[in-house]
Amino acid sequence: MEKIKLVSRPVNWNKIEDPIDMDVWNRLTSNFWLPEKVPISNDIQSWETLKPHEKTLTMHVFTGLTMLDTIQGTIGAAALLPDARTPHEEAVITNIAFMESVHAKSYSSVFSTLCSTADIDEAFRWSEDNPHLQKKAEIILGYYNGDDPLKRKVASTLLESFLFYSGFYLPMYWSSRAKLTNTADLIRLIIRDEAIHGYYIGYKYQLALAEESEARQAEMKSYTYDLLLELYDNEIKYTADLYDGMGLTEDVKKFLRYNGNKALMNLGYDPLFPKDECDVNPAILAALSPNADENHDFFSGSGSSYVIGKHESTTDDDWDF
Amino acid sequence: MANQVIELDDNGVETGKTGIESAMSYHELNAMINLWDKDGKMQLAKDKLAVRKYFLDHVNQNTVFFHSLKERLDYLVENEYYEKEILDQYRFEFIEELEKLAYSKKFRFDAFMGAYKFYTGYALKTFDGERYLERFEDRVVMVALALAEGKEDIAISMVEEIISGRFQPATPTFLNCGKKQRGEFVSCFLLRIEDNMESISRAINSALQLSKRGGGVALNLSNVREYGAPIKKIEGQSSGIIPVMKLLEDSFSYANQLGARQGAGAVYLNAHHPDILRFLDTKRENADEKTRIKTLSIGVVVPDITMHLAKDNEDMYLFSPYDVEKVYGVPFGDISVTEKYQEMVDDPRIKKQKIKARTLFERIAELQFESGYPYIMYEDTVNKANPIQGRINMSNLCSEILQVNTPTTYNADLSYDQIGKDISCNLGSLNIAMAMDGPDLAKTIETSIRALTSVSDQSDIVSVRSISDGNHKSHAIGLGQMNLHGYLAREHIHYGSEEALDFTNIYFYTVVFNAIQASNKIAIERGSTFGNFENSTYASGEYFEKYVTQVWEPKTEKVKELFAKSGARIPTQADWKKLKTSVMAHGIYNQNLQAVPPTGSISYINNSTSSIHPIASRIEIRKEGKLGRVYYPAPFLSEDTWDYYEDAYDLGPDKTIETYAVATQHVDQGLSLTLFFKDTATTRDVNRAQINAWRKGIKTIYYIRIRQQALLGTEVDSCVSCML
Repeated sequence: MEKIKLVSRPVNWNKIEDPIDMDVWNRLTSNFWLPEKVPISNDIQSWETLKPHEKTLTMHVFTGLTMLDTIQGTIGAAALLPDARTPHEEAVITNIAFMESVHAKSYSSVFSTLCSTADIDEAFRWSEDNPHLQKKAEIILGYYNGDDPLKRKVASTLLESFLFYSGFYLPMYWSSRAKLTNTADLIRLIIRDEAIHGYYIGYKYQLALAEESEARQAEMKSYTYDLLLELYDNEIKYTADLYDGMGLTEDVKKFLRYNGNKALMNLGYDPLFPKDECDVNPAILAALSPNADENHDFFSGSGSSYVIGKHESTTDDDWDF
Repeated sequence: MANQVIELDDNGVETGKTGIESAMSYHELNAMINLWDKDGKMQLAKDKLAVRKYFLDHVNQNTVFFHSLKERLDYLVENEYYEKEILDQYRFEFIEELEKLAYSKKFRFDAFMGAYKFYTGYALKTFDGERYLERFEDRVVMVALALAEGKEDIAISMVEEIISGRFQPATPTFLNCGKKQRGEFVSCFLLRIEDNMESISRAINSALQLSKRGGGVALNLSNVREYGAPIKKIEGQSSGIIPVMKLLEDSFSYANQLGARQGAGAVYLNAHHPDILRFLDTKRENADEKTRIKTLSIGVVVPDITMHLAKDNEDMYLFSPYDVEKVYGVPFGDISVTEKYQEMVDDPRIKKQKIKARTLFERIAELQFESGYPYIMYEDTVNKANPIQGRINMSNLCSEILQVNTPTTYNADLSYDQIGKDISCNLGSLNIAMAMDGPDLAKTIETSIRALTSVSDQSDIVSVRSISDGNHKSHAIGLGQMNLHGYLAREHIHYGSEEALDFTNIYFYTVVFNAIQASNKIAIERGSTFGNFENSTYASGEYFEKYVTQVWEPKTEKVKELFAKSGARIPTQADWKKLKTSVMAHGIYNQNLQAVPPTGSISYINNSTSSIHPIASRIEIRKEGKLGRVYYPAPFLSEDTWDYYEDAYDLGPDKTIETYAVATQHVDQGLSLTLFFKDTATTRDVNRAQINAWRKGIKTIYYIRIRQQALLGTEVDSCVSCML
């Protein structure tokens, strides 16, 4: 594959080389949101009903997520830019990068609404000291800094579609038990974004891979499975660190395998984990649905279903009465 | 309570040893109805298992046991759980019989959602919140005893109607009746705000008081002077309505109802108020924090003239309420903008601004995409249909209450000068399917009207005088309806079809007759009517015009059959003539009789579809602060009814509007109408639906809901709601 140079090309949205770029762009922009939309403060009462170890776990989970989104926003998505196949892809990736920063910031707004500064500082210290979280970052950063564009995409897809989910489990778990439901709304908005990011980067990976030699394709395949397993091993330890206290580790691991398979599917590969090892707790699985089909109660939250509308003016015919 | 749920849950998961299902928590079983099984089939039976499991693992283990009813009642009265005065109105033997009657009906929750909702939100609990002191039957009996005010026969009919699911009182009534520590029975309050600081501060005080007591509060901002208006003749001083909204929003989030739920409020503004665009922009996704309104609901009052200006693609003028009040001597909200439009445009004393009328509608639609807001009230439609003397200038938090109000004035020391009339309304809904199953629709309606009237009689909101005075004069109530789609699906009728519209029309026609008749009976029994009855169109007989001159009968065979099967009598023209004579002679007791609320919680408990809407989804994902995410299958859902449960997004807005239009003609107040769109819709589609609704005589529009489908390739495996 010849290297695509970063030459200045004006983006012409009237000439679309790949319709998926347009679809994803439209979807991402209509999904645009900011954390201020969600009334996290409605969760304060609920937060106070959590036991101390539950609060600590929740904060640790959120610092972990913050770190991943920081990497993805500042380094990850940006690292994918030079590999873009079309100018439109560049535009989509900058959107992805921006939204990742929005995500990172929204964890902070959860923190600042629910917790004291001392607790927040402690949680961030924990994230800097946790070896498994650090290793996770190290592995991913290694590939972002490497010079293989395909490997970068794999790493990025695994991050978007797999690594986040050990953290996402917890807010989904809380919300199915009527705790922190507004925080869960916010996380669901993030999941809605990550689902598309993972899908899109995976899709671009498949396009690039199809142009490669068979040997290189085989190399990438085994590389992908190896990397997933490496990350999975680390992820299990990270999960145990987090969830052993609550007795949820086994349940989270099923969820990890489920999402590991999803990540592979996004990259165009067959699932690795057998289906019966991925029977995720239905309450979590059902809570995940990225469709905006929930019928929320407007008075207790804003829901995760609203989109920026497409503007179209009415014509005289519409007003014919 | 929710703490308890978690612990038991986790215990359940750890200790369960016999098979997977008994190890699953009720939440997990419930969630499984949103997932296909291995063979791609629905797993509706799992929801029944969830109900069972919930009782076995949670409810039964956490219910306080009493040896006898006597012991139970004594304990509850002594420990100040139940109100002694209510029980003292009855013989103990009677209460015992009533309990027996309730338990003999073998009530069972059909859906996990209903059971969970009831025990989380309604059942009486010990003060530490740990254990239940009531079952569903006990709650029903207590509600009946409280509402029958000592009359045994009425208490019996109320138990019959409620336990059978035919009549369901609204949340505040059903939740609070008979409890010693309780909020008010009334759901809903509407307050005017006048253009002075005394009225604004009184409004904030009232908002705190009312939401502390369990109500949703709507306030009318139309009279308040605009941004930049003069104060004491000095120009550019007023900061307009946004800061008032901020104050209200903060008040509502401070006063939650014994922690039961967030206080909730709405504000209405006339489309021709100069702050209208700023008002709408408070709901923008990227609004500045200073102006952003997150939890306060907003509604726009749209007069006919605005529609006509938009039709002609003209500018619309916005009028300074400060100047209008000076010129006309009445608050802006009490003026018909349609009537006075040209006059106000031509009057140089009234300061005005202009915007493009269509721009306003486009802006409204954009915001509805982003936030679901604003509600819309078509002011002139509402006032034309209003049988009561006076003007309706606002609606409430759910946009179904439409009543007249008058201003309150204050002395310099903030005491009342003249107490005006503000609005409260208590609601209850019939489950259309159960009501049609009988045995006697007329009796069901009469009992319901009596129950609601009793709530109004017992209500006395002393903290807000304009509300209690208004209630004492009007005895206004709102009988609602729910489970229309459920009934239609069960009877194999498609929502919005000719037969469905025919049924809706004749059903509501029958309800309005019986409701007025019941209110007339009460007026005769008590020798009293609502205040100012003599100036209503009921008194002049004008109200009855369409019923005594037109013949109202089912048009389709199917609907004739349904009524024949039900035994519900369809009133004839002769019945109406008789009723008209009696009403003109003796009056009616209730100023307002019907209002169709959106029915959230109570329709789950009652196993109904909400209101007269089409369903949002066959398996509804419900998210609420107190519940978390719970899955609710449409009532009567089976392979057999599957096709008749087309959801609101697929049906499109027009069928919903048509259904509401035929119902609206028989309802004196409003009907909460939510419109559902797929995310392929544009602002233009929303505008067209609004125009269509206005043309068809719809009074108010509640939320706009948008459904976004997952992008291909990002769905959750085997999720029912993704695949539909």
